[in-house]
Amino acid sequence: MNGWLLAAAVVLALGVAPALWGATTGPLRRRVVAQNVAALLVCLVMLLLAQGYARPSYIDLGLVLAVLGPAGTLVYARLLAAELAADPPTARVTRAMTVLSAAAPPLVVLPLCVATGPGRSLVKLLLIGALLTAGNTISGRAVSGTTSLPREAHDG
Amino acid sequence: MADLLVVLALTLVVAAATAAVLTRDPARQALVLALLGLALAVLFTALQSPDVALSQLAVGSALTPLMLLLTVRKVRGRGHRGGRKRGRA
Repeated sequence: MNGWLLAAAVVLALGVAPALWGATTGPLRRRVVAQNVAALLVCLVMLLLAQGYARPSYIDLGLVLAVLGPAGTLVYARLLAAELAADPPTARVTRAMTVLSAAAPPLVVLPLCVATGPGRSLVKLLLIGALLTAGNTISGRAVSGTTSLPREAHDG
Repeated sequence: MADLLVVLALTLVVAAATAAVLTRDPARQALVLALLGLALAVLFTALQSPDVALSQLAVGSALTPLMLLLTVRKVRGRGHRGGRKRGRA
């Protein structure tokens, strides 16, 4: 077991497990935010696993999740819009989400980039990092400030 | 020590699956199901089968919740408004 796998295990235990707790308990706003955080963290875990197992092809998992994770959150933001608008996440949670989605991907991707060295997989890693940051910023904003999404008037 | 990741992922899968069973409201259940899909994908990756994890991610993270929520919405809408949206998917 090397450091990358250990880091993945730490993220799983200290990040995804609390997110699972948040998604199973509490009000709906907390559950949606927790699901968004879990998708972000699992994507980072996939990148760490790819490096830990020394299998560059595993990075595709991170790429798929970086695209589909925010898309899944947008599905919730869209189809649960009425309930979320009635009880939106607090400003503190929204700010924490923004900070997390901006800070966490570079924190993991940059060490991976250094370890990978120049080449095609470096470009892929940077692309995944950019997708993750942008996607989670957008989905976090969609969940909290419903203003950024066009809402149907007859929803609910 | 090498099995730590597998054990962790398995624990997450068991916890998520139990939580999904115990959640009653279908909309909230869809959220827990999405997390179960993520945990399963991690487990499959830890067991060195990325192809299975890839299909699990593709189906579990966006498609299953979308279909579940659309179904819930359609059923509820029909209950409230007497089938006004019958022509739509």
